Parts: sequence; C-alpha cells; structure tokens
Amino acid sequence: MIDPYYLQQLVIGLSLGMTYALIAIGFTLIFGVLNVVNFAHSEIYTIGAFAGLVLITAFAPPLAIVLFIVLAVGAFAGFGLERLAFKPFRRFSDEASLKSRAMRESTLMSSLAMSIIVREALTLVFGSQFQQVPLASLINQPIAIGPITIVSGDIIIFSVAAVMLGGLQYLLKHTRIGLSIRAVSDNPTGAKYSGINTDRTIISTFALGSMMGAVAGILVGLYYGAIFPAMGFEPGIKAFVAMVMGGLVSIPGAVISALILGVSESMATTFVSSVWSGMVAYSFLILTLIFFPQGLFGGGRERV
Amino acid sequence: MSELSRRNLTWLCLLAIVFVVAPAFLAYFDQGYFYQLSTLALIFALLAASLHLVTGVSGLLHLGQAAFYGVGAYVAALLSINYEVPFSVGLPLAGLGAAAVAVLVALPTMRLVSIYFAVATLAIGQMIYLVLLNWVGLTEGPNGLVLSSGIEFFGYDVGARIGTYFVVAVIVLFSLWVIHRLTHSYYGNALRALREDDQCADAMGIDTVRLKVGIFAVSAFFAGIAGALWAYTTGYISPGDFNFANSILILAMVVVGGLGSLPGAVIGALLLILLPEALRGVGDFRNIMVGLTMFLVIVFVPKGLMGEVSALAFFRSRFASAWQGGGGGKVGWR
Repeated sequence: MIDPYYLQQLVIGLSLGMTYALIAIGFTLIFGVLNVVNFAHSEIYTIGAFAGLVLITAFAPPLAIVLFIVLAVGAFAGFGLERLAFKPFRRFSDEASLKSRAMRESTLMSSLAMSIIVREALTLVFGSQFQQVPLASLINQPIAIGPITIVSGDIIIFSVAAVMLGGLQYLLKHTRIGLSIRAVSDNPTGAKYSGINTDRTIISTFALGSMMGAVAGILVGLYYGAIFPAMGFEPGIKAFVAMVMGGLVSIPGAVISALILGVSESMATTFVSSVWSGMVAYSFLILTLIFFPQGLFGGGRERV
Repeated sequence: MSELSRRNLTWLCLLAIVFVVAPAFLAYFDQGYFYQLSTLALIFALLAASLHLVTGVSGLLHLGQAAFYGVGAYVAALLSINYEVPFSVGLPLAGLGAAAVAVLVALPTMRLVSIYFAVATLAIGQMIYLVLLNWVGLTEGPNGLVLSSGIEFFGYDVGARIGTYFVVAVIVLFSLWVIHRLTHSYYGNALRALREDDQCADAMGIDTVRLKVGIFAVSAFFAGIAGALWAYTTGYISPGDFNFANSILILAMVVVGGLGSLPGAVIGALLLILLPEALRGVGDFRNIMVGLTMFLVIVFVPKGLMGEVSALAFFRSRFASAWQGGGGGKVGWR
C-alpha cells in the first residue's frame, strides 16, 4: 500500500509538469521554425500572469474569461517580441541566413536583452515583491478523492493543459496554418518556393507558442498565489530542460520530459529538501547533454 | 613620431589616468561612495576581460561567469576566515580554486557546441549558485560571510581607502596585460580559429577540446581573482552577488564593447557600471539600462563599440609594420 502522501505529491508533480509542458511547447515550436532559442519566452509567462492579475483585480471576471484574455495578450506579446527581437536579424530570406549561426547568436542576445527589459519594466511598474492576489480567485480549494486531498488547481491545470495540447495537435495536423508551420520547420526555402508566406508563418508560430506560455503563467500564478516580475526565470529554464530532453523539435517528447521533470522535482522536494530540488532540472540537463545528446526521444540533428 | 613611441604614449596615458588622475579625483572628493564605485568598476573591467577570453576570442557563449566570480570570492573569504590566510596568498589561491572548479565542470561539457554549450554553462552557473546559497554549513547561505581582515601585504596593512584602490588597480591592470598578451599570441590565434570554425580548426590539427578546457580555466582564474578582490575590498559577500543577473551583466559588457576586443570589453564594463550610477538621480533604471543598451547595440551596432574586425583594422592601420614585420612566413601577431 502506497502512502497517500506520496500519491498527493505525484499529483502535484504532474500538474507542475503540465505547466512546464505548456511553456516547453513554445520553445519547441519556435526552435522548430527558426532554429533559435527564445530567451524571452519566460517573460511571456510573466506577462501572462501579470495581465491576468490586473484583469482580476480590476473586474474579477470568471476564470474562463481571464484565460481567454490572457491567451489574446500572450499572442500579442509574442507578435511584438518577434517584430522587435527576431525580425531585425532576418534581413535576408535565403536558407543560409534563416538558419545561420550569426542569426542564431544575435537573436539569442537580443531576446535576452528583451527579457531583461520586460522584467525590469514590470519591476518599475509593480515593484519586485510578491503581488497581492485576491483570495477569492486563487485556485486552491481542497477536494478529497478517497484518501488523498488535491486542490481544484490541479484539476484546472490538467484540464486546461489537456485541452490546449489537443487543440495544438489539431491545429498542427488539420489546418492550413499548421501545415505551413510544419512545412517551414521542415525546410524554410522549400516552403517559400511552394508559395507559403514564411514571415506570416513565423509570426503565427510565435503567437501560438506565447499563448501557451502566457496561460501557464496565469495558471501557476493563481495556483501558488505568487506573481512577481522574476517568476518566469525558474520555470523558463525547466521548460528549456524539458525541450532539450525531448529532442528539441519533438512536441510529444517535450511534454513527456516536462512531466518526468515535474514529478522528479516534487519527489525530490519530498525525499530530500525543497531547497535542493532546484538542482534536479540542472542535473537532468547536464546528464542529457552528455549521455543523450539527441534527446531522450531522438529528433535527429547534426551536431551538439 | 615613431610608432613605437606613439604606442608607448597610449599606454602612458592609460597608466596616468588610472594611477594619477583617478586617485587625485578620489582624494579630492574623499567620499567612500567614489572609492567603492572605482574599485567596483575596476573589478568588473577584469570580469568583462575574463569573459572576453571565452566569449569574445573563442566564440563560446558563456552564461555562467558570475558563478566562478563567486567561487573565487568564497574561496578567498573562507580561507581568510577559517585559516587566516593573508591576502597575498589568498588571492592566487582564489584564482586557482575557481580554475579548478572550471576544469572539473568543463571536462564533461566541453564537447558541446553553440547553444548547447551556452545552456550547459547556464546550468553550471545556476548549480554553483545553488550550492553557495544552500550549503549553509560552509557558506552561511543567504546570510553571507563577513571577512575579518582587509588587504595586507606581509603584515603591512594597506587599510587606507586610497591604498586599497592602488592595490586593486595594480592587480587589475596586470591581469589585463596578461590577458592582452595571451590573446595576441599563437595561442590567441588558435582560439580565434576555434571561434571562426571549430571543425576546420580541428582538421588543421588543433586539439579543440583541450583548448576549450584550457581557456575556460584561464577565464575562471581571472574571474576568481576578481571575486577575491571583491571579497577583500567590501569585506562582506553573499550569494546574491553571484546570480544569473550578474552573469548577464558581464555578458552585456562584452557584447556592448564588441565581441573579441579587449579595450571594448573594458570600455563596456566602465560604461555599464558608471552610466547607471551617473543616472541615479533620475531613478533606479540601472537594470533596465543594461537591457536597453544591450538591445540597441545588438540591433544598431552589431559589432559593438570596438568589434574585433574594426579593432583589427584599426591596429593594422596604426601598427602596419608590426603586422607585416618579421617576414619568413610568420602570420599574425608576434
């Protein structure tokens, strides 16, 4: 008989993993299309949380409406980010410069710079401390299921994440925009020659990935009641680790790795101590890079 | 004027500014704040120069330099507190400690390239930061460490603030000179080959992994020296001084100054330390300034204020004979 306490930790770990998965998908989509890492992605997560917070303190709408507006804010933030930090380095549209090393490194730095600017701007406006989240809108009502007690947030995070993942899968496999995203990530020049508007595809990829990240931000913010300008850093890194573990371009790989990561973290918190659980993600990353450079779910790539 | 003396003149001007003009300014105003600011600027100039070795010259994007800065600071502080090791011994030991940690973590990760390397260094930096923060038995955790002794040489205490400034300035300038000589040698050329195309360098017979581990350790050594200087001059260190934001600050200095240029890295450091302080009256815009400067430089001056290429062109036009001289098929700097 397993102690119900561990089951409870398992549930917490899974919902943590689900939020990592939502963020990791943004990384994966953008990496697939542009071959670059978007360091400002964790700031999209923070923007999502703050947008939701402002909305809740101003109007106190039901959660579903908050989520929809946060989706829109996320899409808009992704659009702006792409225009400011990525577009200026895509002056030429041949394949060599679309996936070149110079483009990769300069966008890495420009997205890093954007992330500093966004975080510090939020600090200037809201202050760096934890924000007051109205108690009524927190999603932590306890629900007893047999011997274990979970909170409503676990169920909400799980169902929202499941719906979004399903929606993403449908979008990618059964719509024109999904088709063009897959085409560009497969071969940008080929996609361009067959009449796909690569620029618009890249923007929609950013919007899509940022929507996921922003929703994860507000869900976690309401789950823990902790919304502050630097909140995106840790989950951002962990989502990144999940993406690397999953093999960089594989969405199912990223989701499964994110769940593994979430569960291992909550188990580490239980068995070792909460301060050292941050080490789990970093060790996973180093071990993956050394032993499985192709990722656990092997998307093929040239050199790491 | 012959070009050798012109070159000497540049060096003389630099030395005069650091050792005469700045101390005169400091002594004239005689405020603790200015002393702190000037030593901070010198320490960050050294840090930027140390990152310049890895990121600028060797082209490896390193996102965890602050961690080695922290290792140096903690080694110096712990030696001073627990074993009463004097400054003249603690300083090199701090550098060596940081270099040893760097070799240890570099051995498994050095085979990675580009973004994977960057992320691995980020993870390593965060791991070291977490150890500093959470190993309370050794590092006192978030409370930080207070040093009992200041800077002293063989029993002679240079306790006065102006003395501290001079000691830091001499050490930093000497380190900068060593870094300058290191990058303008065959070793430096091998590093540049690594940056331009590591596979090609490998094919030409350069042992890229050994070279990378080596330069990573050298860079960590200088970062450790900077950390020890920070620990000795402030007398108090805590893990917050060595977090990810500081790694990014150092990287921003190198990027703003221009990747691959040592004067650029130093100018970037001075700019990003002194400019926000000068604007302090307007409001606390320090960190947002760092981000904005970095962004604007990347978009509008991608080579930085003194990028490698422009710096090379500059030196070639100024010291053309030094470049061509020697003959006999020798390529590059003497």
